[in-house]
Amino acid sequence: MSWFNRSSRWIERNLKWVFTAPALLFILLMMAFPILYTGWISLTEWSMSAVEPATFIGLQNYVNLLAHDHRFWLSVWRTFEFTGLALLGETVLGLLLAVMLNRDFPGKNLLKTLFLLPMVATPVAIGMVWLLMYEPTIGFMNHLLKVLHIPPQPWLASEAGALPSLVLVDIWQWTPMMALILLAGLVSMSSDPFEAAEVDGATLWQVFWHVTLPMLRPTIGIAVILRSIDALKTFDIIYAMTQGGPNYATETLNLYGYNLGFGYFQMGAASSLLMIFFAIVLGIVIFLNWARRGVLS
Amino acid sequence: MTRLHRSSATALTAVLLAGLALTGCAGRTEPTKAPAPATETAKKPFEGVTLRFLGAQHPWFDTLKKEIPAFEAETGMKVNTEVLAEGNLTQKLTVELTAGTGTIDVFMQRPLQEAKQFEKNGWYADLNPFLKDAKKTKSDYDFNDFFQGTREVETLNGHVVGVPIVTEQQIVYYRKDLFAAKNVKVPTTMAELEAAAKALNDPKSDFYGIVMRGQGNPAVTQYSSFLYSMGGDFVKDGKFVIDSPEALKAFQIYGDLLGKYGPPGVLNMHWQQASGLFAQGKAAMWVDANSLYLNVADPAKSTVSDKVGYAMFPAGDKGALPYSVTSWGLSIAKSSKQQDAAWAFVQWATSKAITTKTQAAGNPSARTSVWANADANKGWPAEWVTVAKKSGEAGKSTDRPLVINVGKARDLIGEVITAAINGKDLAATAKDRNVKLNALLADENK
Amino acid sequence: MNARRRVRPLWNLLYFGLLAFFFVLFMFPFVWMLLSSFKTQVQIMHMPPDWIFTPTFKNYTDVLEGQDFIWYIINSFTIAAGSTLAGLVLGLPAAYGIARAKMHSLGFTILVARIVPGITFLIPWFMLFSRMGMVDTLPAVILSHMLVTMPFIVWVMIPFFEGIPGDLIEAARVDGCTEQYAFVRIVLPISGPGIITGSILAFVFSWNNFMFSAILTGVHTKTLPVAIMTFLSYSEVNWGGLMAAAVLITVPVLILAMATQKYIVRGLTAGAVKG
Repeated sequence: MSWFNRSSRWIERNLKWVFTAPALLFILLMMAFPILYTGWISLTEWSMSAVEPATFIGLQNYVNLLAHDHRFWLSVWRTFEFTGLALLGETVLGLLLAVMLNRDFPGKNLLKTLFLLPMVATPVAIGMVWLLMYEPTIGFMNHLLKVLHIPPQPWLASEAGALPSLVLVDIWQWTPMMALILLAGLVSMSSDPFEAAEVDGATLWQVFWHVTLPMLRPTIGIAVILRSIDALKTFDIIYAMTQGGPNYATETLNLYGYNLGFGYFQMGAASSLLMIFFAIVLGIVIFLNWARRGVLS
Repeated sequence: MTRLHRSSATALTAVLLAGLALTGCAGRTEPTKAPAPATETAKKPFEGVTLRFLGAQHPWFDTLKKEIPAFEAETGMKVNTEVLAEGNLTQKLTVELTAGTGTIDVFMQRPLQEAKQFEKNGWYADLNPFLKDAKKTKSDYDFNDFFQGTREVETLNGHVVGVPIVTEQQIVYYRKDLFAAKNVKVPTTMAELEAAAKALNDPKSDFYGIVMRGQGNPAVTQYSSFLYSMGGDFVKDGKFVIDSPEALKAFQIYGDLLGKYGPPGVLNMHWQQASGLFAQGKAAMWVDANSLYLNVADPAKSTVSDKVGYAMFPAGDKGALPYSVTSWGLSIAKSSKQQDAAWAFVQWATSKAITTKTQAAGNPSARTSVWANADANKGWPAEWVTVAKKSGEAGKSTDRPLVINVGKARDLIGEVITAAINGKDLAATAKDRNVKLNALLADENK
Repeated sequence: MNARRRVRPLWNLLYFGLLAFFFVLFMFPFVWMLLSSFKTQVQIMHMPPDWIFTPTFKNYTDVLEGQDFIWYIINSFTIAAGSTLAGLVLGLPAAYGIARAKMHSLGFTILVARIVPGITFLIPWFMLFSRMGMVDTLPAVILSHMLVTMPFIVWVMIPFFEGIPGDLIEAARVDGCTEQYAFVRIVLPISGPGIITGSILAFVFSWNNFMFSAILTGVHTKTLPVAIMTFLSYSEVNWGGLMAAAVLITVPVLILAMATQKYIVRGLTAGAVKG
């Protein structure tokens, strides 16, 4: 056998490893060191000093965060609040939009194309646009409220309003994506159940509730998992618009980690926060995936 | 058969080659022009050296940037400058200096904000050896020409960690036309300041009595002058005392001014937003650093440029004690592998000649001789110079507590300011944060 | 639900009204960005807003002249294209291997890259790349962006490859082809749409990335999102200039998205619809 022959046989026998090894190696090289490094630093106290090395303090950073740090728990809560509100809004609006788009009318394709724009636009740039629109004195939002005879709002500038204002931006950005995913789910459905329901004289609402929604559930499940990963990790928009303020009202885990590291030089604490954050996101993904499978079977 | 095998092999080779190409294209990233042909016969001291400068987006740098080509031509070195927003600068400095791989040669830093931490982390090169070396420092450089206070701020543990480049004092910017029209007195005391804000406040027509920084952390430095003038301080006898009666009075004044006579959304305002509102004619007064005056006095940026008046910070219970500080300094990284060239650059950038140019362009410097030089000051409003000089004499040399973790301390004090603006729980918040600040301080002194 | 339902005029009015409302809602920020980018600072501050005004191009000339914007565009493009291509080279075989051998846990491992908070990487990466003298070089930035593009391509391609009938590959193998040959000659050519889908979105994600670029880029490699943050702090909030910069950053991806709309929709739905 020629060398070519032998080597290509070998490749074929081990195809799954030969094909996946480069990607896996890349992931390991690029991720393993940062994660191990962060894991190690999370067990130390270190101000990033070149003179004083990191001192090992065991799990003290974790204890400090979990047991003594009120700001940490608030940021955990905010992360969930942001993700929950955004996902709720995106799923409900996305569903409505998907059902509405599941019908032919002139210009539908153009409309679908334009709906893509919010999600592909650069977040940092989008943040600037919304910053201008939310400006209390010169922003468009308060002008709109004035026209509608609603008293002006401080939007990002008030502790109560800042997080919901950011949620609104996230909903604006991602609802179209949700809608397009769900629409694809709707289109791929068999039309038999709908026809049967129509024969039975079901109302639109009954059709939606008893036929559409159950059939769409798997698609919704996947879309929610995908969105929640990104929503939990939202950074660019918040960093560009409020940097976690005012008075920490929009400080999510990601922002708090950033502030601990780059604002306070507490690298040990920041690292332990990142490890906890990583565990939370991973846990949620596994849980959602498990819940989704449960719904399916 | 062989054709097939060759194809599969080709495919794999292509994968490998692509991988190689990926790591082998570093040469492509050099957009810099080839070194200029050496037409001059004079030997250039730093031919072939490439220096990396990391700076903040600041008017001082805008002026300096125009002068750099001449410096490059003279020394033969190439200066790569990179300019970032303040927050991003700190982040990038932190990452690069932590790695300690000598990627940065020269950088801008805020001595009152970062110097202690950076010095503790061993990130600064000590400039003393350079200053004392007659071969490396020109005889006319004259380090003692810099104000004593600014030199002290840049000296830690006996090391000179940076050269002061920009100084500033807190002043009151006000609308001359409106004060005259409504016959309101330009404030000289806290009570008059509040009265003026009240008299000119007209929220119904979207016009506000006063605007200042309302974001907790950035507002701390602007609060400091109120604190000093009311007789308080951040730290007394080694303990934080921001819950003292004087401090509480100062918080109350700051909070009332913004809460009652400030624009909506003030809690999210840094100086950029505050100066923006004033420049657009939506506020009667703006209290902030005088070094920012071009933002409201430049007709290209301001609709009220010809109506701005400058007044000394008003007196509190203990007189007028505004801060007068070194806001920026220029430093060399300890990990830099070309410190001689770096020092040549720092020395040039802070020389009398260049400082004269940067000051003439509107950046108050720290050099005595430049302040005495009429050429460097003729572009400034006369009123501004008078106020700057007076504030400089009266002022305190710091605008924030001198701890190591300034970022955290500012956040904690900022929370009290927020409470004051919101008009709730001021005393309780101050007391609570004071305990936390002292814990922070105790931790640092361990 | 479908067209056969009796359509009443009132219902139709409500339907299109609501649709138009959504349309305005989702398009408005872009309209506002575009309008503001042609206004002077004074016009922007003016309330109620002017809808008709004499446009100024000064914001655009300021942005283009004040910074090396063209250079940033070239950088952003090179980095996005490079990390997408490299992501394809690594991601396509991996996705195929995972799809054929049903190695789902391996697929999950690659997706963990999407789950780790981005700031975890900043300092370790900088340490690595600076020790190798690679900071502010395209390879370093491209490698970091590949952590975004490659897992995404794998994610899109696994269900796509799973959807390719096994008969097709078996037929090729009966003819004596090796499986890797079948992959290059048969699977890849018919996977064009899937590959385009994955590439476009990977390109967009890389183009929009701020966090990794902020740390690893420098004078030579600065990208657009990093540049706009610099612009933000420029002495005062220059809204017109900011909006012009935002338009310049967004327009290329918007055009790309509009030109390749159907592929993007397919990519979004790749994993989702199959369940």
